[in-house]
Amino acid sequence: MRTKTRFFAMLSIAVCFSAGAVFAGAYDVFQGMEGTIKISGGTAHIPVMQALAKEIMTRYPGIRITVAGGGSGVGIKQVGEGLVDIGNSGRKPTDEEIAAYNLKVHQWALDGVAVVVHPQNPVKSLSLQQVQAIFAGTVTNWKDVGGPDKAIHVFTRDEASGTREVFWEKALKKGPVAATADVVPSNGAMKTAVATDPAAIGYMSVGHIDASVAPVTLDGVTPSVDTVRNGTYAVSRGLYSNTKGEPSPLVKAFLDTLHSPEGRAIIEAQGFIPVP
Amino acid sequence: MKRRDEGSRSERAARLVLGAAVVTAAALTGAIFLYMVVLAFPLFAHGHVFRVLTQDWAPLQGRYGIRPMIAASLALSFGALALAIPISLGCAAFVTMLGRPKPALFVRRFVQTMTGIPTVVYGFVGVFLVVPAVRDVFQAGSGRCLLSAILVLALMITPTMVLFFIDAMESVPKEYVLAASALGAGPAEKFLWIVLPCARVGLITGVLLAFGRAFGDTLVSLMLAGNAAVFPSNLFHSVRTLTAHIALVIAADFQSLEFASIFACGVVLYTVNAAVALVAWNLRSRVLENHP
Amino acid sequence: MKPSGRFFVLKIWAAGCALAVVSGAGLVVGFVIRRGAPALRPSLLFGAAPPWHAVFGNVPVFDGLWPAVLGTVSVVLLAVGFAVPLGLAAGIYLAEFARGRTKQMLSVAFDILAGIPSIVIGLFGFSLSLTLHRFVSPRIGPCLVLSAFCLGILVLPYLIRAVQSALEGLPLSLRLTALSLGAHRVQNLRYVLLPSSLNAIATGVILAIGRCAEDTAVILLTGAVALAGKPRSLLENFEALPFYIYYVSSQYTSAEELERGFGAAIILLAISLGLYLIALSIRHRIGRQAFYGR
Repeated sequence: MRTKTRFFAMLSIAVCFSAGAVFAGAYDVFQGMEGTIKISGGTAHIPVMQALAKEIMTRYPGIRITVAGGGSGVGIKQVGEGLVDIGNSGRKPTDEEIAAYNLKVHQWALDGVAVVVHPQNPVKSLSLQQVQAIFAGTVTNWKDVGGPDKAIHVFTRDEASGTREVFWEKALKKGPVAATADVVPSNGAMKTAVATDPAAIGYMSVGHIDASVAPVTLDGVTPSVDTVRNGTYAVSRGLYSNTKGEPSPLVKAFLDTLHSPEGRAIIEAQGFIPVP
Repeated sequence: MKRRDEGSRSERAARLVLGAAVVTAAALTGAIFLYMVVLAFPLFAHGHVFRVLTQDWAPLQGRYGIRPMIAASLALSFGALALAIPISLGCAAFVTMLGRPKPALFVRRFVQTMTGIPTVVYGFVGVFLVVPAVRDVFQAGSGRCLLSAILVLALMITPTMVLFFIDAMESVPKEYVLAASALGAGPAEKFLWIVLPCARVGLITGVLLAFGRAFGDTLVSLMLAGNAAVFPSNLFHSVRTLTAHIALVIAADFQSLEFASIFACGVVLYTVNAAVALVAWNLRSRVLENHP
Repeated sequence: MKPSGRFFVLKIWAAGCALAVVSGAGLVVGFVIRRGAPALRPSLLFGAAPPWHAVFGNVPVFDGLWPAVLGTVSVVLLAVGFAVPLGLAAGIYLAEFARGRTKQMLSVAFDILAGIPSIVIGLFGFSLSLTLHRFVSPRIGPCLVLSAFCLGILVLPYLIRAVQSALEGLPLSLRLTALSLGAHRVQNLRYVLLPSSLNAIATGVILAIGRCAEDTAVILLTGAVALAGKPRSLLENFEALPFYIYYVSSQYTSAEELERGFGAAIILLAISLGLYLIALSIRHRIGRQAFYGR
């Protein structure tokens, strides 16, 4: 989507260069801008996107930001096809994707993918082998891993999910996932599913973890913002916002806000590690 | 009857405009089918039609068959029908013949109003009431399974079926019913031996249309059936219907075979529902011939 | 022959079934009302924004249903605006001008159209937008006008049928009198037939409005999103009540959001049932004869 007129574009570039460098107010950069930003893709990014959109839209009613989900695969495809301005992904786009769509990749956070269970589940620590066996469907009862005698309900993500891709590569080591697992379409849906089922196990973005689910310690390392940041928790990935070619000024302003102090505060509040 | 009326110019103009509208509307029917087939083509070309319909779904191993989804859709529809048909029959019987006038009228009005309840509300209640209940009562699985979807879907298709049955039963010529009364038949006899057989065409039509509705429903199965793409082997297992598959995979890569699979699902859905519509239309026109 | 015994069993079974149906629906509605009643406050619609300014000013609404309500209203009005003229025209044609094989084939086509699952229509709309996006203009994608178009397709067969049976259900004497006095077909339609069947057609339109308002599968694929603000342009995404309910059911992040979901369900129920009851009362006033044609 283009900004309304070229004049505003040039004005905003001037504003960016002059005011942005001198004065803090990260949202001042949008002064005088109008237009729409369409965002879709990774569901882990949604809370940050929505928070930022809220800040910007409250200050500048002339700017409209729509946020949709769909998963990392959707984000990359839609931005590549020109259906949205920013396509979020929880995995780095492949070289083929970058070449095919002329993508500019823009990382703004680091996030972990944690195994989660219901808070009342006594099993809070598993080895990598146990996790692989559970998700493959070879271990089917919680008592086989030190828990109560209950069948394990496995939840997994849909095919378009970047979270799933990362989990499958780094935790499951590309092993099989039981075909009988329940499929949920987003991080939020995974959280709801695990939070409402005492026998559930799933995986989701570390940033999404709150009191309603319990993270599982993997091979002795507890997934948290700190262990992801210093690298001891290995199952991690970047959060990327991709654009097709160079972003328009409005979109660039939005992406730059993610690195501003206000943006970083939002990112940290949501449980991610801002980059750089 | 003259085929070509002299008709004024306005009539010819009307015929033209209205005819164009009709043709556009009818063309939509064909266009939808065409789109499904064309966009499913990569899948059909990659593996024969037979293979697409009979293989399992394992995209990581290169298998794009929609057999599990077809089976799940059928299992869900037949399950819901099995539950809903006897109950709808009983309810319709209550309203038309076997209930006392005041309660019967109340039930009739209630069922008429019930058809206005949105599908998404059924699904919503299913997620927060039925799924936990199934999980706790049966202790087998996460609660998001075939059974939960069957229970809610059966409730959802019941009001339409009841109204259809009522219509069919009330269309039985009054003379037959009166004749039976004159011969000493009580309400039960009249219902079993006169009304049911005479109304059977209408009843079958109602069942067919309810089947079409159940087969094509998306939200209930998307929210309640668990969405695992496996062949349904157990009431308490998670399953994925054709409709849920479309909603889930719509997000995938536009060029991939996964994406093409949703159009294969679309073709199957369209064909089954078109067949149902054709059979129902046939039955209805036969009824109209007999009861002008 | 045991008349009383058989009668009794049958009667119990019938009453039991009626009870099951009524209590099933009652359970659904009651559950929604019980869980959603606490949420029925102005903040359900407007979140933290002041209601007056949110509606008439430019204050954006977050955490409120107002954008979704507006979105639903917009898409329904557009859909009905597209479908009613087309349905009216097609229905008149079928009732007045079509004969024999043509009429049969058209009836079959519309019956098939009526039977197409809503998600297939949504899929058609989505792929249509892909085609338009690639060959016409890159600005086109899933959006408000596409959703309205697809919803229109969804309700078109019902409108056609309603118009057709309304016209065909008019007593023969009414249909022929004006013609016998020398009026031609179009005059007959305009001054006699259509005004007489207005009630029945209105019922059909109201039912179509209800159907558009509650549908989720179509808008899921053609342009509804979880966050979009007030609908401002035909070519943009929009929010909608049924989509919001679906979205909340799988990914609510707080108890307030869940309560809002139930509140949204109450609003949607009220809209759908309200429209349905209006249509029913009109239908009862004009009598079954005129509506069903027999």
